Amino acid sequence: MSEMRIKNATVYDPINGINGDLMDIAVKDGKIVDSVGGSAQTIDAGGRLVYPGGVDAHTHIAGSKVNVGRIMRPDDSRLNNKPRTKVTRPRTGYTVPNVYSMGYGYAEMGYTTAFEAAVPILKARHTHEELEEIPILDKAGLTLFGSNWMVMDAIREDDLDRLAAYVAWGLLASRGWGIKIVNPGGGEAWGFGKNVSGLDDPVPNFEVTPRQIVRQLAEANEKLNLPHSIHLHCNNLGKPGNYETTLATFDVCKDIKSKRDRQSLHVTHVQFNAWGGNHWGDIESKSEPIADYLNKNDFLTIDMGQLVFGSATTMTADGPVQYANARLLKARWSNGDVELEDSSGVTPLEYHPQSYIHGIMWAIGLELALLTKDPWKVLMTTDHPNGGPYVNYPMVMTMLMSKKRREKEMEKIAELTFDRTSIAGIDRELDWYDIAIKTRAAHAKVQGIIELGKGHLGVGADADIAIYDIKPDETDATVEFDKVEAAFRHAAYTIKGGEIVVKDGEITATPKGRTYWVKATAPADGHERMMEDLKMKFKKYYSVNMANYMVQDEYVEHPYVFETGYQ
Amino acid sequence: MIIKDVLCPFCGCLCDDLAVEVENNKVVDVKHACKIGASKIMGHDRIKAPMMRDDKNGEFREVSYDEAINESAKILANSKRPLLYGWASGVCEMMKKGVLLNEEVGGIIDNTASVCHGPSALGVHEKGLPTGTLGQFANRSDLVVFWGCNPVQAHPRHMSRYSVFNKGFFTAKGRKSRKVVVFDVRKTDTAEMADEYVQVNPGEDYLVISALRAVVADKADVVPDSVGGVPKEKLVELGEAMKGAKYGMVYFGMGLTQSRGKYKNIDNAVSLITELNAHGKHSILPMRGHYNVTGFGQVCAWETGFANAVDMSRGIPYYNPGETCSNDLLMREEIDAAMVIAGDAGAHFPAQSIARMGKVPVIQVDPFHNPTTEMANIVIPTKVSGVELEGTAYRMDAVSLRMRKLVDVDFPSDEEVLDKIIAKIREIKGASS
Amino acid sequence: MQTVTLVPKEQFKISVEAETITPDNFAGKSADEIGAVVAYEGNAPRPLSELFEISVDGSADAADDVKIEINGNVNRVKRIGEAMTAGLIMINGDVDMRCGAKMKGGTITIKGNADSWVGQEMTGGEINVQGDASYYVGAGYRGEACGMRGGKITVFGNANDFVGEHMCGGEIVIKGNAGIMPGVSNKGGKIVIGGDTDMPGSEMTKGTIIVKGKVKDMMPVYQKEGIESVDGEEFTKYVGDVVVDGVGELFVK
Repeated sequence: MSEMRIKNATVYDPINGINGDLMDIAVKDGKIVDSVGGSAQTIDAGGRLVYPGGVDAHTHIAGSKVNVGRIMRPDDSRLNNKPRTKVTRPRTGYTVPNVYSMGYGYAEMGYTTAFEAAVPILKARHTHEELEEIPILDKAGLTLFGSNWMVMDAIREDDLDRLAAYVAWGLLASRGWGIKIVNPGGGEAWGFGKNVSGLDDPVPNFEVTPRQIVRQLAEANEKLNLPHSIHLHCNNLGKPGNYETTLATFDVCKDIKSKRDRQSLHVTHVQFNAWGGNHWGDIESKSEPIADYLNKNDFLTIDMGQLVFGSATTMTADGPVQYANARLLKARWSNGDVELEDSSGVTPLEYHPQSYIHGIMWAIGLELALLTKDPWKVLMTTDHPNGGPYVNYPMVMTMLMSKKRREKEMEKIAELTFDRTSIAGIDRELDWYDIAIKTRAAHAKVQGIIELGKGHLGVGADADIAIYDIKPDETDATVEFDKVEAAFRHAAYTIKGGEIVVKDGEITATPKGRTYWVKATAPADGHERMMEDLKMKFKKYYSVNMANYMVQDEYVEHPYVFETGYQ
Repeated sequence: MIIKDVLCPFCGCLCDDLAVEVENNKVVDVKHACKIGASKIMGHDRIKAPMMRDDKNGEFREVSYDEAINESAKILANSKRPLLYGWASGVCEMMKKGVLLNEEVGGIIDNTASVCHGPSALGVHEKGLPTGTLGQFANRSDLVVFWGCNPVQAHPRHMSRYSVFNKGFFTAKGRKSRKVVVFDVRKTDTAEMADEYVQVNPGEDYLVISALRAVVADKADVVPDSVGGVPKEKLVELGEAMKGAKYGMVYFGMGLTQSRGKYKNIDNAVSLITELNAHGKHSILPMRGHYNVTGFGQVCAWETGFANAVDMSRGIPYYNPGETCSNDLLMREEIDAAMVIAGDAGAHFPAQSIARMGKVPVIQVDPFHNPTTEMANIVIPTKVSGVELEGTAYRMDAVSLRMRKLVDVDFPSDEEVLDKIIAKIREIKGASS
Repeated sequence: MQTVTLVPKEQFKISVEAETITPDNFAGKSADEIGAVVAYEGNAPRPLSELFEISVDGSADAADDVKIEINGNVNRVKRIGEAMTAGLIMINGDVDMRCGAKMKGGTITIKGNADSWVGQEMTGGEINVQGDASYYVGAGYRGEACGMRGGKITVFGNANDFVGEHMCGGEIVIKGNAGIMPGVSNKGGKIVIGGDTDMPGSEMTKGTIIVKGKVKDMMPVYQKEGIESVDGEEFTKYVGDVVVDGVGELFVK
């Protein structure tokens, strides 16, 4: 019954085409409505910047890998410590915050929804245990399928219905939102310490190629009419020269069509996959051909994976890359093979501006965003905490908005970087509208959650609203970047489902968010064949009984179930 | 009625294939479990009602739950350095409440790892942990090393379910698919059935591991003729065998974590495995004891950033084993009140720690009598987790699973007791924070 | 010169965390003001006036002109001198853990024994322990790449295990014996042990360790170089730890 009115809001709502209009927003029972009565709680935005609540389509915030990072890094947990308040629990950690800090940190920046980017099915229960503890945010998880025995066997036997049935089952078992593919096939090769070298390198013992894995999962994705497209971390991440693999991988899905109004392929943290050269000595940016491809094709989207100098904890399902990093840097290394399904690795590292390699990586992320004409095609992410912790998003936003800000950063970066990249010569500066696209609207579109009321402020949307202490018309973001960063860092108001959760950068309430997951129906006979194969694998190879495997209702206390079906 | 796919609430194997027969709300038979697991599920004498006594040498008197809970809350609320210890036999849901309780009282929360695999965590801080899930090892490993552990005794079904006898995708010949090597100071039952037993001088595992690392790094020339009681030729042979393995596994236990060097043995072993990964594929796994000791580490880490030994006296989590572990504090006589819940301090702590506990109020929350009961002032019996209460537990390889409830009993759960103690403490301390 | 004298009012049982006892924090404060400074006994905040008899003689504008004298056993008072930049602390008794942690400058002299982690993560200054030290002298924090980076610690008695663990710079002198694994994972710095020790220099990549007494077990990963003279004394020189491609220098009698 609670009503709220936000008046004098300068609104940027790209999904509804609103570009800096001064308007009022009416909220009732947690949703945006046309109007509310006189007795409604009123917030006077005073002409300040108002965005829909932030949406992060790719971040590592919950589950086994994150906790491995925490356990490995008391040196990280001792940072950013805050005692409890009347409303908040104690906070620890910078790259691997504790669950409370994870939620508060996002909310303080005006974010209200986040997607855990990689959930292994066998360990999904753990992911949900942590997601449940993260306050405020609405969340979802992307389930790993790319090195899975059930997937590869179905592909080898050319049984798309069975594959789709397994995807549907796997999403149910993990309460996942979509298909995540990491270094397709590589996770299985890593089971014996090997990797796959490219799209057409067959996975040892399974006789399928990464190309087939990507292609068929994309087809299964569309057959099931899932809200999100496949979400792909390409082969050869982190290797000089890998941009060719990346472009070839894009092509794999070029003719995949979706019934939904979205991309057929989302490729993630492309910065790490946009490298030219042949080795560390001659590594260079290949953001240009990648941006060129994006400028010519509408079927795909990417996210940046922007690098932030300082401490990071790399954590991906790309087991081989994590090991390679650890060996190179002589760093701590935790590996996590998941039987029949995938791998993972966690390695802490530091990004130094005086390393030209890190300088090039830094440049590439920004180049991808600035050279791609359509702002909807490149989401802003840091692949938290791989490129850097999410608390640095406001800084990244200002670097997209201000050439001066980029130049300031460039002053401390190794000179050689600028021979290998084009960032110094890029003048483009994104505006408030573009930033709204790159930090909420596009994320919601890519993930297929606009129809769920996310990423926009139209009537019917969830009342997830961020008010920032900036008057857009009076602020020149190209020079006042420190002020802009500070404003994005500590929202004047963050409203979640109609409730004020942040005021003046401080947490005021900690409601529990929802967990979004997909329940898809697959054709009956495909399902039958799938179950036969699955039961055999549980009987012979899994170390857990099937009856104990699937995530139970108890682990998702506030579910939002998205139902969809086989086409 | 037969309940299938039951998880065993005893050891870190967390076997989930048990079949339990229940008749008239009582467990009458347990199938597939090992003897110790079956025994726990079959149940035995338990504490019937809450009890209290002021004098630890005196008789207990039966009290109501409310009285026991309120008195416990008073003691903890008024303590300057309370210790909340145990946790490993409970489910994760109650561990979260333990972390919250620790926040309320500004004390130290610590679990049984302190006297067991705590050093393994310290090794992980130094080097990480290259590992995987048990099924990965079951399906792939062709070389299995047990170092300082004796699964035949301590984890009876480990070898048949996971490490040695099972037939996996790449290990279809079962036992014949693997070579089993045991490193230990004495010839244990596990060593008896191994393909090779390597005797290491007590306290010299660290040296042997370093020597193996030198062999693996092709620097054997600096290794002396004998290290830790193992001749150099044998070290070279073993190092080469490890290098040549397709998937080498090292399982380790107290033999490494509690002998000279303690956590350094683990961090050295982790480095050996990391370096071996340049040749084949290798993993390492601590053989966790209690069925949910791993769960405590996971819960505590995501809640506070640290896996155990968390000191909240300054309002922010502080972690420093050697300073904040239970025995560090007890041996310095710092603790002024203790709660022992789902763990048995009395059985596992050194005499000096027990002496200290003898001098301060001790609250025990447990279904069963055990040595801790001897030094308790307040005893609060609860449900047996995993038999009478469902909830989450983490297997030794950090796979989380849900324990089943088999029978109904009229005892509160650990979580319910903790909730009430927390509520009472908040009342005592007032609404401010 | 401002001299602050603290006499503990009791023998503390529950440890007191007193990172607020530093020359930096006391400079220019009166006895009453110092008395109001808060330390923590377990979870209980306590003003220093409740814990110590406090007297102040003279005045100072800055830390470098401050001398703190603690007269009595503070073997349950931790973190004294933490992060201090200058000045002098004299402890006439035993002191608890993490004394002089993160020290940047100045001098701490402990007449008695020091508990574990004396000089943890030190970057400058000098600590002298006239009695024995415990574990982790001049070491780091769990998971950090570097422990001590600069400064000097001298222990006149014996030290326990892990002296100078993760050392990156500075100097540690143990006149007596050291426990196991001095200099483990060193990346720099110099450790001199007057007495006996065990397994020195494991995983050292750079740095110097000199042992004048007996080594119980040598690490089996060192390359023997030959006889070399250091400050007029003859040692057998080893280089290693070879497993980590170390070029650390280990001098053993």
